[in-house]
Amino acid sequence: MTAASAPAAPWSAVLGSGRLLRLELRHNAMLWLLPVAFALFWYNGYREIMALPPMWNLRAMTLQNRLLFDLMIPATGAAAWMGSREGRRSITDLVAGTARPRWSRQLATWAATTAWAEIGCLACVAVVYLITARHASWGGPLWWPAVVSVAGVPALTAIGFAAGAWFPGRFVTPLVTVVVFFGLAYGTQAASGDHSYWQISPLTAGAFDIGAAPGVASFYPYLPDLSIAQVMFTAGLTVAILGALGIPVARMRWLAAAVTAAGLAAAGTAVALAGTGRLDPHGMIAIPALHDAASDQPVRYTPVCGRTPIPVCVHPAFATFLPAVTAAVGPELTEFAGLPGAPARISQVAVVYRQDPGNGITVSGGGPGAAAFVLPDEVPGRLGTTGAEFAAQLDEGLGLQLASDVILGGSNRAAASAPSQAELAVIAGSVRFPPSVEARDLAPVFGSLLPQPGSPAAQAARRFAALTPAARHAWLAGHLAALRAGRVSLAQLP
Amino acid sequence: MTADAVRLVRLHAVSRRLPVALVLLAVCAAGLRGLLYGHWDDYGALQLPLIFEAASAAIIAVTAGSPFGEPERATGRWLPYLRLGTAVTLTGLASGALAAAGTGMPLAGGFADIVRNVAGLTGIGLLCATVLGGPLAWTGPLAYLVAGVYGLYTDWHPPALSTPWIWPARPPHDVGGALCAAVVFAAGLTAITLRGARVPAGGDGPG
Repeated sequence: MTAASAPAAPWSAVLGSGRLLRLELRHNAMLWLLPVAFALFWYNGYREIMALPPMWNLRAMTLQNRLLFDLMIPATGAAAWMGSREGRRSITDLVAGTARPRWSRQLATWAATTAWAEIGCLACVAVVYLITARHASWGGPLWWPAVVSVAGVPALTAIGFAAGAWFPGRFVTPLVTVVVFFGLAYGTQAASGDHSYWQISPLTAGAFDIGAAPGVASFYPYLPDLSIAQVMFTAGLTVAILGALGIPVARMRWLAAAVTAAGLAAAGTAVALAGTGRLDPHGMIAIPALHDAASDQPVRYTPVCGRTPIPVCVHPAFATFLPAVTAAVGPELTEFAGLPGAPARISQVAVVYRQDPGNGITVSGGGPGAAAFVLPDEVPGRLGTTGAEFAAQLDEGLGLQLASDVILGGSNRAAASAPSQAELAVIAGSVRFPPSVEARDLAPVFGSLLPQPGSPAAQAARRFAALTPAARHAWLAGHLAALRAGRVSLAQLP
Repeated sequence: MTADAVRLVRLHAVSRRLPVALVLLAVCAAGLRGLLYGHWDDYGALQLPLIFEAASAAIIAVTAGSPFGEPERATGRWLPYLRLGTAVTLTGLASGALAAAGTGMPLAGGFADIVRNVAGLTGIGLLCATVLGGPLAWTGPLAYLVAGVYGLYTDWHPPALSTPWIWPARPPHDVGGALCAAVVFAAGLTAITLRGARVPAGGDGPG
């Protein structure tokens, strides 16, 4: 046997594939489109993610929603461009005589395109996660949202590549890119509720009408159920499309068909699993077949407390908001500290989410008294919420709850008999609603916890509000029992 | 117009795949019309036309590429006029087709929005054609599509993007946005008229 006819070493095929991949990497359109991908991510995703409070759940879930969206145009377009290369340059017959079958060559080109797109994707993830790691007050990276984004990239490139390979032409690249953009960006328009099949879209991070919210995955672990289904879907779709590319190859037709069928089965199963999802009380989608009951256990943490007369304690992930909380309800904390009925400590508890018909979500939480409170999901920086709006929400919620609890002597008393006008005046005079709170915001509590605007009780409330928190505390310390018993008239209020 | 001129225009149109482009522009208009029958939330209703406007602009930009490359430039003095005529005609037809598709339907922004966006996006595409070449000219309009969609998104979620350079996010009759779109369109027309689409040295572009 001569050297020339000796069988090739097993690793020579691997080396050959590696060499082919290296060539494709060097001559790939995705490399040139990486700056476009980075620019789009900076403009559309990065700035918005960085404007969010440095909480892992907020930033990681928003990253999942944005990153693939920003990579969609360059990755799909580059893949379609590369896939159409042989047809576009009319060299299909020329390369048909090469040693490698067409499917093998196409997979190498697709792999190189995907590799560059993945590098872009991972670079974006790395930047966001590194910056968040430096600023987050608690917790660690949520990897599942990043995994979904990374798994979505091959699906984008596979769709683009296949379209380019099957329909080579100068118009195919922009058209398939627009179609993918439309399908992915608006694919969730038909979604309704937590049982929707459409939540399989890799852009969907959690329930539709909650999305990335501070209350999700902070008190309880991030549920990977939906992420697993999404990864399964994108992987199955990728395998199916790449398999379909090989079906025209005579020698590999059955193998390619089997691969395609396996991919379609995986993708279909994932869609079916997504349709069995339900919104759990902690704001995440649980899929029974993929659910791990251990994920339902609350996360252990040591609360962070402020140094106010009544200490306010929050989950450490929310530590950055503690100064805003204590500043918003500080006067009330000073006024009511030590009075009968006032809590010794006010602790943040988890928000409870409930799915309503359609895409409606009911958000509730807290307890019957002011000892437990929930921070509103609209924290400063999220969806354009300002610090003043955040403070207004706290005053409407925690401030009013605290004042009514102390003045009325708890929820039992409030249910038993209607509060007197003097009590309403003291409550209204104790809670400092910021100027941003309008009458219509408070209308639902007029008559139950606040005096009617313009009434004598409202005028007495303004008088009471003019006092300092310490003066109000001193007066309440001497008159609270009489006030609760209905023995204080409006005229007797200071 | 002489028979030679007609033949010249016809040959130029065929070399730029204008018949296919016209069919695709009609498909875009039909697609918009079909989707407008659906139920869309506020995001979808406002962003939907922009997608078809960007697709139309990308198609127009791709037609700017010449299959002949450098030799064509030595053939005569009419080429710049043919390029200009092709771009203006296609832009007008695309605007008209999309506007016709929205007739009687709840089309966000209306005709003014369509003309402004198609013109601006086409300008971006033509500029890309002169820099990157015709086959890759789609990158500009489609990348700008993402920016425009995000601009419309910020109309709900402040801080809203106030720059007129993101004109899709501005109201249809906003002067600043219209001026920016017009400037970009004029720049694109000028560039494609005077220079034509770039012919990449290694063929039709990277890859």
